[in-house]
Amino acid sequence: MAQPRVERRVGSRTLSLSNLDKVLWPRDGYTKGDLIDYYESVAQDALPYLAKRPLTLQRYPDGIDKETFFEKHLPRGTPEWIDRVTLPTPGGRRSDTTFIVCNDAPTLVWLANMASIVLHIWTSRMPALDEPDFVIFDLDPGERCTLKTLATVALQFRELLQSIGLKPLVKTTGGFGLHAIVPLAAGYSYDTAKIFAEIVARRAATELGELTTLQRTIAKRPQDAVYLDWVQVGQGKTIVAPYTLRARDGAPVSTPLHWAEIEAFSRRRTSAAPADEFAKFNIATTRKRLAREGDLWGPKYWKKQRLEPALAKAKRLW
Amino acid sequence: MAHAIWSGSINFGLVTIPVKLFTAVKTDELSFNMLHAKDEGRIKYERICSIEDKPVPWDEIVKGYEYEKGQYVILNDDDFKKVNPEATQSVDILEFVELDKINPMYFDKPYYLEPTKQGRHAYALLRETLAHTNRVAIARVVIRTKEYIAAVKPIEEALVLELMHWASEIVGADSIDVPDRAKLPEQELKMARMLVDTMSVDEFEPEKFTNKYHDELLTMIEARAAGKELPKPKKAPTRAKVVNLMDVLAQSLEESKKRRAGTNGRATTKRRKKTAA
Repeated sequence: MAQPRVERRVGSRTLSLSNLDKVLWPRDGYTKGDLIDYYESVAQDALPYLAKRPLTLQRYPDGIDKETFFEKHLPRGTPEWIDRVTLPTPGGRRSDTTFIVCNDAPTLVWLANMASIVLHIWTSRMPALDEPDFVIFDLDPGERCTLKTLATVALQFRELLQSIGLKPLVKTTGGFGLHAIVPLAAGYSYDTAKIFAEIVARRAATELGELTTLQRTIAKRPQDAVYLDWVQVGQGKTIVAPYTLRARDGAPVSTPLHWAEIEAFSRRRTSAAPADEFAKFNIATTRKRLAREGDLWGPKYWKKQRLEPALAKAKRLW
Repeated sequence: MAHAIWSGSINFGLVTIPVKLFTAVKTDELSFNMLHAKDEGRIKYERICSIEDKPVPWDEIVKGYEYEKGQYVILNDDDFKKVNPEATQSVDILEFVELDKINPMYFDKPYYLEPTKQGRHAYALLRETLAHTNRVAIARVVIRTKEYIAAVKPIEEALVLELMHWASEIVGADSIDVPDRAKLPEQELKMARMLVDTMSVDEFEPEKFTNKYHDELLTMIEARAAGKELPKPKKAPTRAKVVNLMDVLAQSLEESKKRRAGTNGRATTKRRKKTAA
């Protein structure tokens, strides 16, 4: 069973990798070696969203069908060169939590070698961990919600934000839904961001009517609508980072999209499920997509925005 | 309970009990990082040679014992290996003694011992025997490459391995100046005893005593981390009545602006630059 360890040079480090042939996505045959190769090849585009943020790992040592665990605290035996940050555990008074901070490619490869399939990040960066650098809205489609409906809601949601002068970005979650974000200028507290998110979500729910719901209890949500979740704003709350793989069949990737792509989805005639379409952004296609499109959340698109003018407009319009 | 920190066996006579060692006490102490006040950069340490006044790489560093002022004996890795005890991974029981025959000052740090599946029976046997005879086992323990003396005691359902100090580490009370055991007036003794009686409790309840300093520090840190300023006791309720979310947001924006302009704000430096320009 014991397989030889393989040494690989990544940046300035030589890493010892193990069990590269172990299959993690059993129905697709993707192995831990594929996982490592993927993260190494997208490091340049993935790292800007991981750097300086406390990280929570979701590890699948025996593949996506087997046990998974969330790891917030630095795993035992973490090499000394891995960056880390020690923070008081939110809510807990007992001890601190030391988070991994992935600032470079060797760290990313090391994480992949530990079968960390999903990487969850904070929405704030060091040293200003109390100031979110973006507000996130989770557009989560119900079980019978079609891709067309989800895309339509996403576009209307974008219009709503544009009407108060904000320019959101969008990505797939890698699962069923979409993440829409508004990059923020420095200096806003989580409290501020949260109230802002609530105002927008409530307005969206009234304006978009039956297509959206703010109902948090899954059973009570209309199954063909999009659940608009704004409560993921808060210190210590995490989201799936851009270019993170998911532990689902097909090894989908949480992928930043052009709004034009969402427009194309909204014109679809079929009743395709969102997840089926989003699964086309996966471990095998992402490298090519990045080479073609570049990082759609990159500096060219990532515009830090101020909330004061948005509020002034909202007060007049809403 | 999390990970075992050590696994090995308790040995006495012909009996071997496979066990794992777990932390039994942890410290509440908060750890702080040293930062550069200006930009919150982490402070790094450098190893500087006092003669060359230059940083020294690890492979040029050796360990020296100062046996006389300025005079060192250099020891290398091999020297340390020569005297390291064999990593036996065992708790070797040497003798048994009644618990109150041990000066409590000798006890240093307790760990829990957990038996593996095969060791459960022998573990229970040792625990019951120690409890019934009111004795503890004195053992020699090797953890990693260090050797310790330790006591194995039954505490509730568990066996606890308590690391002990060596006799040479205990400072005798004769090193301080204390009054002799002279005869004290009966009346005073009676008074003192009465006072003690009135202040006595039946059980020691450690939960009654909390680490106030630690808790207050933590409350302060949590408040700062959440972006709130601390000593603003009960101003909030009146504001919370504001129903219109837009007003709340306006207020929140106003507050973060103040926070930024104030002395505690993170963006202070940026602001200052602006006004200076």
